[in-house]
Amino acid sequence: MGLFDVFRNRDPGVEAQRAASAQRQAEIVDSLSSGAVPASIRTRLEATRCGAAPWIATLTPAELLITRSHGIKPIASVSATCWLHYGWSWTLGHSQGWETALQRLREEARAAGANAVLDVKMRTIPLGIESSMDFTLVGTAVKIDGLSPSSDPIIATIPALEFVKLLEADVVPTGIAVGAHYEWMNDWRGGARQTWMGNVESLQLSNLWELVRQHAHAQLRQSAQSQGNGVLAHVNFSQMFEREGSNDVKQYLARHIVIATTIDAQRGVPIPHDIKMVVDMHAGQTPLTGARGHHQSYPSNDRDGAI
Amino acid sequence: MPSDDSNKMPTHAQERLKGLRTSQHSSGVFTSDFTVNEFLLVRKAGFEPVGLCVGTCVYHVGIQYGNWSKNQEMDVLSKAMYHARELAMSRMRAEATAMGADGIVGVKLTIKRLEWDEHLLEFIAIGTGVVHGDGHKGFRAHDGGPFTSDLTGQDFWSLLHSGYRPVEMVMGSCVYHVAHRGVLSALARAGQNVELVNFTSAMYEAREIAVERMQYEAAAAKAEGVVGVDIHEGSHGWQTHVIEFFAIGTAVLPLDQEIAPEKIADPIMVLSVND
Repeated sequence: MGLFDVFRNRDPGVEAQRAASAQRQAEIVDSLSSGAVPASIRTRLEATRCGAAPWIATLTPAELLITRSHGIKPIASVSATCWLHYGWSWTLGHSQGWETALQRLREEARAAGANAVLDVKMRTIPLGIESSMDFTLVGTAVKIDGLSPSSDPIIATIPALEFVKLLEADVVPTGIAVGAHYEWMNDWRGGARQTWMGNVESLQLSNLWELVRQHAHAQLRQSAQSQGNGVLAHVNFSQMFEREGSNDVKQYLARHIVIATTIDAQRGVPIPHDIKMVVDMHAGQTPLTGARGHHQSYPSNDRDGAI
Repeated sequence: MPSDDSNKMPTHAQERLKGLRTSQHSSGVFTSDFTVNEFLLVRKAGFEPVGLCVGTCVYHVGIQYGNWSKNQEMDVLSKAMYHARELAMSRMRAEATAMGADGIVGVKLTIKRLEWDEHLLEFIAIGTGVVHGDGHKGFRAHDGGPFTSDLTGQDFWSLLHSGYRPVEMVMGSCVYHVAHRGVLSALARAGQNVELVNFTSAMYEAREIAVERMQYEAAAAKAEGVVGVDIHEGSHGWQTHVIEFFAIGTAVLPLDQEIAPEKIADPIMVLSVND
């Protein structure tokens, strides 16, 4: 089978293809607006689910090994996108965008007959279309031996190794929680400009940050509450801007976004395992830590780990 | 295996490779791009490296302009990306076949733009050909040729120990033009946070085409599944709004004779002391 063969069986009528594509897109829009999985994706997921087509996993072989030994089978890669235009708030758009994508991912997982989606990566496609951004999630839907397909599959934004590590410790990752907040501050009296001062705290800006962060984290707690009893935060993204307002008044914008994996953990229960120290045979980055970039939507956090 | 002239090995390359295969390369040296750990683990898995296999292809990509206001696949560009990758991969595989390799591990497939002509792309596939130490032929691909895999030596070992063997590096590509927004519709949305459903559906269609093509290749290679799948986007110097969705992974088959699932050891939890 050659790579090029894909095209040999295709209808030569380009017009017919274009028409089919337009029809497919209309169907995708319809399905998404009614909260359903688009037909072509549903067909693929169902074929993969019953074994008529090869399964697809974003897992590494080491992860395949550990999932196999723990009774977890990959089904298919699932993905979801929400492309959002932010008119009134970039910051709040992030919670709206990820929430919508999350809901769609859950629908795909359900169509695949999955119990969970592992290794969910948050992605943003670098097309740079003005004042808009896409919120994309890509992950691997899996089935757990002995469980019937879930009506509400778990969405885990962590790699398979970490998923199994958590399960072994009797902790269940349950989903994603998002907290986002922004504030504008007008500096009427120029208090934030401290050109001639020595060592002093810039109280106004400190307070602005405090306020924004507290609100974002309060929202995170609220968003997590319905899903589990704890979060492991993996994105803490913040930015502050200064701009010239009218009458020479400086304006400051501070925004903070925090995204976390929610977990359900029994408190005070010891980890049931010994941990051995070993030398890892992997060159460079070790997969033992699972520390691969799990999002590229917030560049300043790129070097943080998976959680 | 295509056998037209473009895939013929140069004579000096054939001579260089000849000695490597005979009685565990006693008369030649092997070449590889393995790290120390990879080398140890590939040998631990029962394989010996025989030589680096390279396939390259410099390709002139045709011109296609997307309809300004339409979401559509750029089929000229999709075909070019496929054809050029296919040529590079099959040339690499021809080298491996000539040296009698059972498979190629650690295949790196890269694309470079050549600076003097924006339509020229250079595709390079490079990996290390390996043979099974005991001459076991069961590891070859469904067509009897060497298997291909982008897995590292460590991943290769892990894959065999999870009860699977690599068959073929499979990929799916879709170059897609995302429609531009009309000025009026953009104005109508100013001041609101709303979803741009046209863009969303473009992403869905393009990604689905890429994933389906990859899955189709895996089915054609008679594989059970695909591991290590990476679905990503890239642009190779096309217009803005044109993007390639690319899915790539290694198609695998269960090793039912060699390692039955009950013989797979449970991994132990450890703390790596490297870093």
